[in-house]
Amino acid sequence: MGTKSRIECIFFSEFHPTLGPKITYQVPEEYISRELFDTVQVYIITKPELQNKLITVTAMGKKLIGCPVCIEHKKYSRNALLFNLGLVCDAQTKTCALEPIVKKLSGYLTTLELESGFISNEESKQKLLPIMSTLLEDLNADGSCTLPIDESNTIHLKLIELRKDPVIVQEYDVPVFTQNKDYFIKTQWDLTTQQILPYIDGYRHIQKISAEADVELNLVRIAVQNLLYYDVVTLVSIFQYSNVYCTTPDVQTLIDDKSLQEECLDYVCKAGQRASLRDVFLLYCGLTPGTTVRDLCSRYSLQLQRVDERKLIQFGLTKGLIRRLQKYPVKVIRDERSRPPRLYTGCHSYDEICCKTGMSYRELDERLENDPNIIICWK
Amino acid sequence: MYKPVSPSMDYTADHKSAFKQPERNAIISGDRTSPISVILVSSGSRGNKLLFRYPFQRVSENTSSSANKQRSPYALNTAGDAADDQDGDSREQTPLTDEQLVAGFSDIILATILATKSDMCGKKFELKIDNVRFVGHPTLLQSPHTIQVSKTDPSPKREMPTMILFSVVFALRANADPSVISCMHNLSRRIAIALQHEERRCQYLTREAKLMLAVQDEVTTMTETDGTPQSPFRQILPKCKLARDLKEAYDSLCTTGVVRLHINNWLEVSFCLPHKIHRVGGNHIPPEALESSLKAIRPYHALLLLDNEKTLLAQLPLDCSPALVRLIKTCSAVKNLQQLAQDADLALLQIFQIAAHLVYWGKAIIVYPLCENNVYMLSPHANIRLYSPLAEQFAQQFPGHDLPSMLAKFSLPISLSEFRNPLDAPMHEAQLIQMVVWMLQRRLLIQLHTYACLLVPPTEDEEHGLKEEEPLLAARLGGRSLSTPNALSFGSPTSSDDMTLTSPSMDNSSSELLPGSDSPLNKRMTETLLASLTEQERQGILSVPAAQSPEDLRMFARLLHYFRGHHHLEEIMYNENMRRSQLKTLFDKFRSVLVVTNHEDPVISIFQSPPE
Repeated sequence: MGTKSRIECIFFSEFHPTLGPKITYQVPEEYISRELFDTVQVYIITKPELQNKLITVTAMGKKLIGCPVCIEHKKYSRNALLFNLGLVCDAQTKTCALEPIVKKLSGYLTTLELESGFISNEESKQKLLPIMSTLLEDLNADGSCTLPIDESNTIHLKLIELRKDPVIVQEYDVPVFTQNKDYFIKTQWDLTTQQILPYIDGYRHIQKISAEADVELNLVRIAVQNLLYYDVVTLVSIFQYSNVYCTTPDVQTLIDDKSLQEECLDYVCKAGQRASLRDVFLLYCGLTPGTTVRDLCSRYSLQLQRVDERKLIQFGLTKGLIRRLQKYPVKVIRDERSRPPRLYTGCHSYDEICCKTGMSYRELDERLENDPNIIICWK
Repeated sequence: MYKPVSPSMDYTADHKSAFKQPERNAIISGDRTSPISVILVSSGSRGNKLLFRYPFQRVSENTSSSANKQRSPYALNTAGDAADDQDGDSREQTPLTDEQLVAGFSDIILATILATKSDMCGKKFELKIDNVRFVGHPTLLQSPHTIQVSKTDPSPKREMPTMILFSVVFALRANADPSVISCMHNLSRRIAIALQHEERRCQYLTREAKLMLAVQDEVTTMTETDGTPQSPFRQILPKCKLARDLKEAYDSLCTTGVVRLHINNWLEVSFCLPHKIHRVGGNHIPPEALESSLKAIRPYHALLLLDNEKTLLAQLPLDCSPALVRLIKTCSAVKNLQQLAQDADLALLQIFQIAAHLVYWGKAIIVYPLCENNVYMLSPHANIRLYSPLAEQFAQQFPGHDLPSMLAKFSLPISLSEFRNPLDAPMHEAQLIQMVVWMLQRRLLIQLHTYACLLVPPTEDEEHGLKEEEPLLAARLGGRSLSTPNALSFGSPTSSDDMTLTSPSMDNSSSELLPGSDSPLNKRMTETLLASLTEQERQGILSVPAAQSPEDLRMFARLLHYFRGHHHLEEIMYNENMRRSQLKTLFDKFRSVLVVTNHEDPVISIFQSPPE
């Protein structure tokens, strides 16, 4: 989600004892037309059943987000005060991030009213207009706003972009920083993350980080999942010279995208050396099913004089230029009496099995390659 | 839902709960592509009414015994909605089921908020309240100022309660995908069009509404006398066809995703939800990806039916187009769309349209036509589990063979010709084709194609960093753009050569017809074609030994614009009417300036391995 949700208007609507539902203040002026308000007023000043709910209604090309509040007390004419402070955006805008703000604002106003009659008092109500203007400006500019209302109350608001849920992090995944690690400000993060930070080097997998940093495995998984959520790291698979990779259709973006080329050459070339685009592209295209990294090294030794193969693979994986082919053992023939296979079901890759059982890749390979009951699938 | 931890917090204390959350929520949150409820409301001279809703509310025991307030028995305790604590954060301990989300709204409030004013009619209606999103298409039945008397009623004019507008509303979870929301709106609109038509023709909607309201009144009276609360909507179902239709629509959307209704037993409304139909493994193919893929199919692609012919034909309605039937009967995995057009005696454009239609409804996918040179590999999303139902089905279909062994054979890319054993009976070959088709239908295989890219080795100047800034290869080799869909390019009749596909006639056609390979005209043409390259690239190409042969050089220059990694071998063969062996030889001769790689065709790969 690149575009920030832009607020077009902030309005304050209430139920006037004689005039009925009306817009008392709106910033900028005259933004909501008479017709628009007539159409949507039933969602702004609502029946009791809908009070305190976040209501978003789309009409006439605009989206209105509000949270109707009702405060009952004998002192009010009609024994209740009904109001709603809402936002207006264009109908195409994604407004999920604005909802907590509207809810929070309605909470603030309710508190202010209960504490000091902020809204029912005509004089203090007028302070709302400058408050709303400031809110509109600050939220659109920075996405946050801190505004003192009176001596004892301050409004703190922040627009938080919602992101996609991250995947579950497995013990055989390897976290890689998406940007230069030096830009990472340690002190902003929690203790666990700070403790595992030195061990995230793009080569250590979760199990190894947990062992070396002396942090419990599940904690490491959660910490990395959190970093994943904020796009600070991405996940790749363990690097071994026996790994097999193949190209994806996205490998062609290396040819089409100039900035990607620069980034790639900067990242994968050995210190003080500069490889050509052709060398790097040749190397990526040299990764095919059936070819291990070791084979690549021997076949393209000339190109690899200037390129670090581990960084090459890492870059290719993080940008989606190549993908890893994993081996999955499946036990096909077995006696009726023996137990059903637990790990050799086609669901667990070699990486996973090695991590879970503590075997090395070579040991597992030796064990399975010669077993006639087991077939191996690569995908 | 995932609850992120902002950088300044320390969460080590409840790490256990943080991990359990996603699984728990997955079970409770339900399917995000299914609706929660379907509601029919109307607005007229009798005010706003909720005519029907499904699923029915469960009426709790408490309401009947509360004698303090006169409450409608159909309003549940809003206990479900009190899941918000003072801060407005939803409490995690009692997540709401889908039913409770909408059940918390009483009939009366729904009628008020969903039966909109007439100026919101004819447009998409979208309303979000906390965790529920309502979407519909309010439709005007008549101008609000005129009262229409039924033409079929010969009795003297009297004031009849009239309906001004109505709306079929679907309630969804608030976090539903925007494309799901617009699909639901589409369905609401289609049903509305059918109902509007039937209302104008024979007042169908008014009659059904009258029935529904009568049953509701009846049940209310009964409840007041008996004291036992019942849901009136349960009583409405057996009496009203429209209620049954709406229930059926809801049930179909929640299960198969395919809706077929007959409004008033007359008008057919059919609809499919692509998110349910196009599921591969755990992922669904997003409708936008599907559409862009369909726009890019070429005459050399083939249509592969996902069901067998008989089943598919049986599903078609009686009045379906004969072209569709002909196409289904003539299509085959080894025939490309162009050949299909000839065999079915239809225009190529029509074939494209019908093929797209079948793909959209999940009845077929697009593949490259099967032939012995095709190279296949296991799809990264292939279901290779030992205990999957696929293994059983395979064993039934092909006795004597087991799926895991077959899958293992495709672990490395393998062409179909490599399976061929000269000692095998011809029947084995046919069976192999059948097995490959079976595996393609179940999204187990991807096909690999060869792509070539022009990259000249750098000269010594370059290596010392004296290279000038040059525009990207793609920009320089612009020339003819082949990325636009070719639904409109018609080819000549198929040649007898089974490996070469016919090519559409292109403007800058080849100079093969010109005699004399050394003629100055040909030389000039070659020079022009090479002019778009940089000096360094030109030198690189000319220094290849094969460039000494003018014919080879000319062929290379002519094909230059394909060498940017976006056109695979088979496409070049089709467009330029060349044999595979010719192209492969050319690639080999110029291998010092070309980089060749194999991967799947991104245009059709979404059918076998959708994006994450």
